[in-house]
Amino acid sequence: MGKFLIVTGTITYAIQGRDILRKHGYSANMEKTRHGLEHGCGYSISVKGNIEEITAILKKHGVKILDIMSL
Amino acid sequence: MVYLDNAATTGQKPPTVRRAVADALINFSANPGRSGHAFAQRAGEMVYKTREKTAKFFGAETGEVIFTQNCTHSINMAIKGSLMRGDHVIISSMEHNAVIRPIHTLKNNEIINYDIAQVIHGDDDATVRSFERLINEKTRMIICVHGSNVTGEILPIKRIGEICKKRNITFVVDAAQTAGIIPIDCKESGIDFLCIAPHKGLYSPMGLGVLIARKPVLRTITEGGTGSYSNLLVQPEDLPDRLESGTINLPGIAGLSAGIDFIKNTGIERIYKHETELCNMLADLLKKDSNFTLYGTIEKTGFFAPVVSFNLEGFTSMEVADFLSKDGVAVRAGLHCSPLAHQSIGTLESGTVRVSPSFFNTKSDIYALSHALNSIKKRKNIRKNY
Repeated sequence: MGKFLIVTGTITYAIQGRDILRKHGYSANMEKTRHGLEHGCGYSISVKGNIEEITAILKKHGVKILDIMSL
Repeated sequence: MVYLDNAATTGQKPPTVRRAVADALINFSANPGRSGHAFAQRAGEMVYKTREKTAKFFGAETGEVIFTQNCTHSINMAIKGSLMRGDHVIISSMEHNAVIRPIHTLKNNEIINYDIAQVIHGDDDATVRSFERLINEKTRMIICVHGSNVTGEILPIKRIGEICKKRNITFVVDAAQTAGIIPIDCKESGIDFLCIAPHKGLYSPMGLGVLIARKPVLRTITEGGTGSYSNLLVQPEDLPDRLESGTINLPGIAGLSAGIDFIKNTGIERIYKHETELCNMLADLLKKDSNFTLYGTIEKTGFFAPVVSFNLEGFTSMEVADFLSKDGVAVRAGLHCSPLAHQSIGTLESGTVRVSPSFFNTKSDIYALSHALNSIKKRKNIRKNY
């Protein structure tokens, strides 16, 4: 289990994803993307846990993931 | 001032709305969706929560809620973002200029063609047939006002939505007069684009509109900064960012959030009942006097947006509104930006006097109006004597 930064691009996806993950018991936060500008300015979700499970939950709820970084 | 012009904008906002607007301006007046500091995050959270709340209130998904400048802006985005050269559009005979003018402009520019479906007053079956008859193989969009801003007549949007779904036609609903007063569920009614004026029935400040976009918008009518994908020169594809370029109206959105709470806590049915009771009370008073002509289908359908349109014999509608204003009663006269609707009820030459109560009006306001109208009638007698 590691800590990850999931780059979502828009603030809407970031808050939506954060709230969904919290409902699933994860400790998740929304933040302004700080790690590079490959996807331009935008927002991310910082979260700790099994990244495969996390991404599956987000994808199931239609949250668009641009990038995943290991912290 | 007895304010009875709430179909133009609700004159009195609930204290909770005024406080929410002030709170946003005082405590987190930062640009939402742009920066990462605490103020901006708080602003972004509030905007998201309002988006979520608005979506639930109108039977849509959070990402489908777009904050615009006003309802007309929302309508323009839906129309100009979706229609292609050669498309055919059907609009109702009760549409506001917010619909007629963009459609007519596209026709004048030889991009689309359109037809007008006659609303048969008090006969939903016939109205639905009017729309069906005009559909051809090129029909791509039907645009329909939910409640007329002139007569209050409610159009059968659920039935028209079913036709659109069956024929794969985009369905746009102008809910300027009904959002917050009559329940609307986009999914249940098959609405692809719902256009809302939050400063009316949702008791928000002016300068904010809502578009619920449940179909992809092919073209944008405004491009610019969204706070996302800023390395790209093209407009982002993701909603709501695709349709929300530039800074959005944070205090207005805070007001909308409190406005929806006000409606939910008060009860939309209670609001509707109160406003229609006031309309019925006025209609009953006016019907007793042959000097007044009432328009619309209030007594036929028993279901209408809370608006009463009338004329007083011997006076123009503008004169009546002017006299009422001098007596401290605010109403709206003329064509109400809806020439087709006035043509449909035979008042294109005269216009009408429109009275539109809100939840904050009382029976004493209607008595004050009635008293003021009786005073105006006396002026007619003075006129005759001269």
